[in-house]
Amino acid sequence: MIASQAVRAAPVRRAVHPRPRHAARATRRGARAVARRSGTTWEVRTFVAVSAAIAFVFVLAMLYLAQTTAVSARGYEAQRLEQSLNETRRQNALLEVENARLDAPARIDAEARKMGLVRLATIPVVQLEPLPVTTAKR
Amino acid sequence: MTETVSPRRLRVVFVLFACATLLLSLRVGYWQTIGRVDLLEGATDQVRSDLVVAAQRGAVRDRNGALLATTVPLLSLYALPKRVADHADAAARLAPILGTTSEAVRATLDSGAEWLYLRRRLPEESAKAIELLRIAGLGFETEPKRLYPNDTVGAHVLGFVNDDGVGQYGVEGAYDALLRGVPGRLVVERDPRDRELAIGLRTARAPVNGTDLTLTIDLVIQTALERELKAAMEKEKATGGSGVILDPRDGAILALASYPTYDPSAVAKADPQSLMDRATSWTYEPGSTMKPFTIAAALDQHVVTPNTTYVDKGCAVIGGRQLCNALGKVYGTSTVTQILEHSANAGAVFVAQKLGAEQLHAYLEAFGFGAKSGVDLTGEAAGDVRPLAEWYPVDLGTIAFGQGIAATPLQLAAAYAALANGGTLYRPYVVAARRDADGEHRTAPVAVRRPVSPETAAALRAMLIASVDNGIASGASVAHFSVAGKTGTAQIPSDDGRYLDDAYISSVAGFAPANDPRFVAVIVLERPQSKLLGTVTAMTAFRNIAQDALRSMRLQPDRP
Repeated sequence: MIASQAVRAAPVRRAVHPRPRHAARATRRGARAVARRSGTTWEVRTFVAVSAAIAFVFVLAMLYLAQTTAVSARGYEAQRLEQSLNETRRQNALLEVENARLDAPARIDAEARKMGLVRLATIPVVQLEPLPVTTAKR
Repeated sequence: MTETVSPRRLRVVFVLFACATLLLSLRVGYWQTIGRVDLLEGATDQVRSDLVVAAQRGAVRDRNGALLATTVPLLSLYALPKRVADHADAAARLAPILGTTSEAVRATLDSGAEWLYLRRRLPEESAKAIELLRIAGLGFETEPKRLYPNDTVGAHVLGFVNDDGVGQYGVEGAYDALLRGVPGRLVVERDPRDRELAIGLRTARAPVNGTDLTLTIDLVIQTALERELKAAMEKEKATGGSGVILDPRDGAILALASYPTYDPSAVAKADPQSLMDRATSWTYEPGSTMKPFTIAAALDQHVVTPNTTYVDKGCAVIGGRQLCNALGKVYGTSTVTQILEHSANAGAVFVAQKLGAEQLHAYLEAFGFGAKSGVDLTGEAAGDVRPLAEWYPVDLGTIAFGQGIAATPLQLAAAYAALANGGTLYRPYVVAARRDADGEHRTAPVAVRRPVSPETAAALRAMLIASVDNGIASGASVAHFSVAGKTGTAQIPSDDGRYLDDAYISSVAGFAPANDPRFVAVIVLERPQSKLLGTVTAMTAFRNIAQDALRSMRLQPDRP
């Protein structure tokens, strides 16, 4: 038992030295033997490789789909915000018109009349008395 | 025991499948090559929308920034009648908000249309109330509406926008191309819910919004003019009236009004006659308000001075006809200044005879009569100064006091502005600036010509001040301010070429403060009920407008 373990371990120790061809063939045969013993045939390896490839493509596709969906969702969100902006602008324009209506001199004049205010017949002028000339005293 | 399929049958089935496969392959090949374009168009038409994006029409503001006209998207109510479950119930709930009967709404819903407007451009409150009803099958879409916050104020300056979005009359008409802008285009793909696909096709050309305009109009003065003109019209039961207020320093129109008037937001209800701007599109024989120009021409030609005297006998004979003063008055020995103070027709004839027809004709043209002033509004009339060759000898006399000549109130105001500013005739204008993506572009005033010298203009100013202080135009005086002015009572020509006996046009033209004029005003009343006394009402209107204008301009009094 110990001897056989020593035989299996021998190729690892010799890896740093050049080997003859018959030694390499012996190694591949050894590997197949190991694979047979562990149950991993070429079919399994191919299946795993293809599955990995499909899974990779699937993940890529999902990533792309997620990105596209996110862009689309952002697009709809942008549209919603744009509509909101337009509505705010519309309300602002209506308020500006309302402000202008309230500021209209004709409306203010009419309101003043309703309150009983009377338009001045003449423009009042305040005549200022000239300031007395004073001299500084110490 | 098993049945075996004969090889022959198998071959037939194979051939059938092979043929079907071949046919399908050919069909697929056709759609992928020759028919590809049609297929693509059909598919994209289902998801693509090609829309014209309307440009926002420019706003109009007065010289101080007050909003005069703007475009706001209002909500229009539409219905898909097949989706409205109960027409009668919907009609009953909508009718009070729409201000109509439920029968009318029901009839509209039952009309059989697939899609229809129930009411376009609703007031905001009504739209909100309808939205709260949550009636299935109803919806809103926005439509632009031109709004004028000051209602009828400035209607003839502004004009209006018709249902096709085209500006007509006033500034809206004259500057339609600038105000309208350039529409854009938007091509997008949409999902079944009519939302734009964020990652779909999108081609957009942004609209270029219309240019905003800033007018020379002062809303406060405009309101005062319209208020006083309306009061004068109602007092005199006049058939029409107009008024113009100019800044004599550059020809900027501060206010312009015409009666009857209209609401630019509801033109469909307006009387077609009310659409005419009588300040720019209507001509009349100005009467005595023309005398200052006859005298200005004579002063400029040095054939008379303000102190030149003549003997007023009440009438003057010219071309074999006798032309008399109003009410047959006789003033005796009078100066040229007193011709304006008394508004003496005989005196105007005396001055015109000194001047001569050729010179008078030349000066009238120099003051801008008989030609369009070039104001930036639509539909301006040129007035009428007949060619000199068509003048009869008597025309020299009648035209000297404003008969046999036709002018617009705006022309008269521009000519008075030339006397007020020292002798320069400016082209009247109403758009002070326009603002677009490149910034603000201000309008440069245009000095057309100098009809009289500054000395002549100064002399006329003094004579017109005397006319208000001592003469017939005293009703136009304003306390603490110097005012220059002249009244006019013109006869109205009838269809047979004579003058009507019982109808007049009363007017007043003047400026203030006379020593440093800041505005010129012309007020005209057509067919006032008090006939010859219509000028008194016109002067009252002038005085009230002048007070408001002087107050608004915050000018210091130039008299104690």
